[in-house]
Amino acid sequence: MITVNLLYQRNQMAIDSKKIIEIASSLPIASNEKGIMAAFGVYVAMNYNEFFFQLVSKIIRMVDDKEARAVEQNLYDAVLECAYHTFHGARSSMHWRDLILPMIKTPEDEVHALVAFTNVFGIGYIEVEELIPGEKLVTTVKNAYDPGRYLEEYGPQPRGRCYMFNACNASYMDLVYAPKYPNGMGTFISREVMCRSMDHPACKFVAELHQSR
Amino acid sequence: MPFSLKFDPDNNIMELNGSLVSLHCHHYNCGLLKAIESTPNIDAHKVLVETAAEEFFKNFKNCLSNELQELTAEAALQEAAELYRLMGFGRLDLGKLTADGGSAYADSSYYVVSWLAKYGRRATPVCYFTCGYIAGILGAIFNAAPDTYEVKETECMMLGHDYCEFIVSKKSNGD
Repeated sequence: MITVNLLYQRNQMAIDSKKIIEIASSLPIASNEKGIMAAFGVYVAMNYNEFFFQLVSKIIRMVDDKEARAVEQNLYDAVLECAYHTFHGARSSMHWRDLILPMIKTPEDEVHALVAFTNVFGIGYIEVEELIPGEKLVTTVKNAYDPGRYLEEYGPQPRGRCYMFNACNASYMDLVYAPKYPNGMGTFISREVMCRSMDHPACKFVAELHQSR
Repeated sequence: MPFSLKFDPDNNIMELNGSLVSLHCHHYNCGLLKAIESTPNIDAHKVLVETAAEEFFKNFKNCLSNELQELTAEAALQEAAELYRLMGFGRLDLGKLTADGGSAYADSSYYVVSWLAKYGRRATPVCYFTCGYIAGILGAIFNAAPDTYEVKETECMMLGHDYCEFIVSKKSNGD
């Protein structure tokens, strides 16, 4: 464990998250004349955070708990695919190779770089709390949009509502420690163990190896 | 350009004319549509259209009150089409719409391109989001409630048509 902690501290120094955010947020991601925004092998669209909150919260309140869990699982899977493919597209890009790859010396550096890269999409700020190489990743988000809105609209929730960050958390581990892309998706599974929608001070996500694998 | 995007790198927050926005890829946006379409016993399309209408009504009305003051309806419709393009949803021609409705056309559609890329062709139209978008911005431009207009996609490039066609009518009272 001492080795792990030393490795983690070294990673903190190797990866300049602010620099990655600066690089990634300055990339030319914009719509073409036909209104299509293509970047990193995916089609990107911008939408209001409130739109996603309203749509999903309305749907899960229209169905019973069993069906709501099924919807949430489908959304987790959709985000996992989104994150897995988008982040792989990013790390395969010329910009990544030229500007970010020189900072990456270890797989753990790559996890930190991917987390930093996520912090340019407007979804709230993700921080790495703990990383055990190949085994476990814990991330936290203090300013996710949805949990605050759930609290405002519906009061404390029975379980976490941050399917988006939860799936992103698993995707980092899938991309770095699982079988090579595109065969590693779902190797890790993430759980939301704290959520501001449940009156916790922050949202926390724990990704570990999927037991059935 | 009346639409301004601001990014706060310390908090990963993005604002479009003061409203929080985020970027998502087609795997998520199409996965979200598929997830709600596969949810039994709900009218997912109705919820999607209404939600889009409400959000774009609210936000475009703010734009009209602030950055787009004193525009003619025709100019406001052009700005709405530009907003749609800027957000990455495709290219819309709203020039034939009036306070009474009319028709709109898209020769480029995010949801068509995205769904084809992710799942391939489907047998039904896919631009439900756009129906809500049109209803919402019309309400904002013509000072009507967001549920004033009914928008139906009558042709969709997903079905092999040359463009997507949206027919807009005013709902009769009680709808």
